[in-house]
Amino acid sequence: MTVKLHGAFSEFAGGARSVAVDAGDVASALAALVARHPSLAERLRDEHGKMREHVNIFANDEDMRYLDGERTALRDGDIVHIVPAVSGGEW
Amino acid sequence: MARGVLVLLGTKKGVYVFRSGSARERWRLEGPYFPGQPVYHVAFDPRDGQSLYAGINMTWGGPRVEISRDLGKTWKPGKNPAFPKGDERTFSRTWHIEAGHASEPDVMWLGTEPASLFKSTDRGESWESVRSLNDHPDTKHWSPGGGGLGLHSIVVDPADPKSMAIGISSAGMYETTDGGKTWTRHNEGLLSPVPQGPEGDYTCVHHVVGSPTVAGARFQQAHTGTYFKDAGDKKWTNVTKGLPTDYGFASAIHPRDPKMAYVFPLEFLERMSPTATGPGVWRTKDRGRTWTRLANGLPRGSRYEVMRDGMATDRLDPAGVYFGTTNGEIWGSADEGRSWSLIAQHLPPILSVETATL
Repeated sequence: MTVKLHGAFSEFAGGARSVAVDAGDVASALAALVARHPSLAERLRDEHGKMREHVNIFANDEDMRYLDGERTALRDGDIVHIVPAVSGGEW
Repeated sequence: MARGVLVLLGTKKGVYVFRSGSARERWRLEGPYFPGQPVYHVAFDPRDGQSLYAGINMTWGGPRVEISRDLGKTWKPGKNPAFPKGDERTFSRTWHIEAGHASEPDVMWLGTEPASLFKSTDRGESWESVRSLNDHPDTKHWSPGGGGLGLHSIVVDPADPKSMAIGISSAGMYETTDGGKTWTRHNEGLLSPVPQGPEGDYTCVHHVVGSPTVAGARFQQAHTGTYFKDAGDKKWTNVTKGLPTDYGFASAIHPRDPKMAYVFPLEFLERMSPTATGPGVWRTKDRGRTWTRLANGLPRGSRYEVMRDGMATDRLDPAGVYFGTTNGEIWGSADEGRSWSLIAQHLPPILSVETATL
């Protein structure tokens, strides 16, 4: 399957927009992504391993929050999207 | 003979670097770097003359520290500071980055939110929690100020590498004289904006600086006034008398004369320069006995807000003084504040100003 990086997350991976990975679920897809692009590790999760705010992860066209979170199963051909949330900002 | 000066701006939308020769008459923009990303502080390492550190607090991807070894031409992120496993705190913002003592060229210090100090022994590539401070018994009494609970001021003594002071909003000043093994609260002489409870004299310091050349000479703008403290002093000396308000954030000290310092007074609540006097930097040459408003060249009737890290001096003679405003103007003086020139305007809101004397 493929992990697609959008917006700032592509920049954090040196401009990569699409990464092919072998994974059975979202968690292992993210782990494989970070193994390929270690610079993403601290951009996706805080020091305790918690997913940062303002990160949306979709399995195909569904937000993983409404599936099984990082345990959401993946199959060949699936696409995981990592999308900066349209949110945040301060001041 | 210095080759020139960089004025380093952390802004709401990136790092801006302005470069000038030693005359400080014409300025050239380099950057912006990290456009669109909030940068609370940019630090220069005078020990190697080449390194810059930028504390970026981005909504997407979280906070990080970017490092340049070539005065901003290229950057790469260091490893994030991290609270130890099992600690409920999470590194959420960088407030201030400070180069270590001259005798420890690989040491850097980082002040964060939640209020904590981190030390690097590899020039910012990685950071470790200074647990003697971060797990201090006082931490349960620290409470966030208007900007959050941040460790925003770090003063490294120019003489003694084991002597440091840090400032936290809202907690106050902590000092170490044993290289960070132990830290003691030293708010003696500082007024508090709230009544003091039995738990101790916690207060809200806004920005603390130290003389880069005279041991123990420190100066600060607090929530409740302006203060000096010299080596051997048991308490801070309140020198607010003569200033238009007791409130403000920015403070700076002369690079060689510890009796000369600068503040940018603001009205409380509104956080803008006072209408009664107009905008101005206020300077003392006699350790706060008298103050002079320096506004030659500043537009009359304008009103400015300058943030806590928003004013700095360079190391030239005469010293340059610089302040940046939240409406995106950076002003400079090449004559220790006697006259001001606009270096640039229409920038993003300026959050911090530092200098690099090359």
